[in-house]
Amino acid sequence: MNEGMPAFYGDLFEQSSLIYLGLWATIKLTVVISITGFLLGIVIFFLGLNANATVRRLVEGYKSFFIGTPLVCIIYILYYGLPALGLRLSPFEVLVLGFTLNVGAYNAGYLLTAYNGLDKSQLEAAVAQGFKSLQVYAYIILPQLLKSSTPALTNQVIYNLKDSSIAFLVQYPEFFARMQELAAGNFDFFRAYLFAAIVYLILTTVIFLFAQYIERRNHWPGRR
Amino acid sequence: MAILQAIGLVKRFDDHVVLNGVDLTIETGGTLVIMGPSGCGKTTLIRCLNLLERPDQGQILFHGESVLSKEIDIRLYRRKIGFVFQHFALYSHLSALDNITLALRKLQGYGREQANELARRELAYFDLSAHEHKFPAQLSGGQKQRVALARALVMQPEIVILDEPTSALDPLMSQEVSLLIKKLEARNITTVCVTHDIAFADQISQNVVFMFQGKIIAQGSVADLAKASAIPEMNWFFGKKRYE
Repeated sequence: MNEGMPAFYGDLFEQSSLIYLGLWATIKLTVVISITGFLLGIVIFFLGLNANATVRRLVEGYKSFFIGTPLVCIIYILYYGLPALGLRLSPFEVLVLGFTLNVGAYNAGYLLTAYNGLDKSQLEAAVAQGFKSLQVYAYIILPQLLKSSTPALTNQVIYNLKDSSIAFLVQYPEFFARMQELAAGNFDFFRAYLFAAIVYLILTTVIFLFAQYIERRNHWPGRR
Repeated sequence: MAILQAIGLVKRFDDHVVLNGVDLTIETGGTLVIMGPSGCGKTTLIRCLNLLERPDQGQILFHGESVLSKEIDIRLYRRKIGFVFQHFALYSHLSALDNITLALRKLQGYGREQANELARRELAYFDLSAHEHKFPAQLSGGQKQRVALARALVMQPEIVILDEPTSALDPLMSQEVSLLIKKLEARNITTVCVTHDIAFADQISQNVVFMFQGKIIAQGSVADLAKASAIPEMNWFFGKKRYE
């Protein structure tokens, strides 16, 4: 064990710039898919409220498909399957597309849950005041849903960060891939993966604290 | 002069006929009460008047012009009709002040300062100045109702429609509501009020229409209606309400 320590720390120091780049790639991927997944979730949720039954059924089908299939399967379809159809995307593009489709489905579900708990008479009051349906959505529904689903949406960002560790499967050089390389070099798997776990824990804690701050800021009395 | 007219309104929900040929004329100024037992169609009638429900048959005329025609901008029409819901329907994520200013800012293009000034005038009118930063959950039932009324009035509607304004309030607060309605009259705002509270109806207006099974079957003061012994349903309603 004593022999392993210097090798691990030496390698960690030696490869720190690569690990730093990996960490940056992980953060970049998490931020991008959290934003795109959030925006797609809003669109999917909104389409799910559409008066047209066919649109609603399509939205349900979309959500069932992406919630019911493993993310890695979708990413493999995009990475290994699409080139057979003549479309080749970069690892980053594959990941953004795959994650966005998956995360959007989950986020739409969180927003729908929050919507079901909303006092609908407010929506009618807004219509009676002369608001258009898009305005009702923007000024009445969305602000309340975003506030009440902050915990669920935050959890999703944390999942995004953790799930980004599968990105190495499509040759995206993120943090976990760098840690695997480090471990493979000195065989000190315990320290390497424990170090990776601690880094992920620090990042999720930062996200959690930021979400708590947002929640406190957006709290209004009587909120369910 | 008639400000709003319903002619032969019919509204069905599946096979259930809720309005069965309603004719109603609302004159400018004053207060009209729509009264009747639960399920008689009075709430559906006012929802049709504001086009929250679209009638299956009949006509609605505002200043003599059909509001059901395709050329009419429904949203502009709705802005002229203030609607106060039975359970107030305040926007729970907004303070009392923002509840009142939202439509001013987003629909009428007022800046925040200007909208706040107009809203504060209404809040002062309803003795709510001390509560402007409170959220709906922090207000009592009576305060919520006054905020809902201020929210309707700030848009300078030609008509204010109140749906069962006393149903969520205690008797003392009901007295207060009748005073509020008198205040509307003083501002020359045409008021339509739905209620099944006989004493309250008698306090606020001598112009009461009585609905039963989707039709208006009588009109007059509460005293007139109570005496209309030729109509058995009304005898039942007034008798039951009086001696229960």
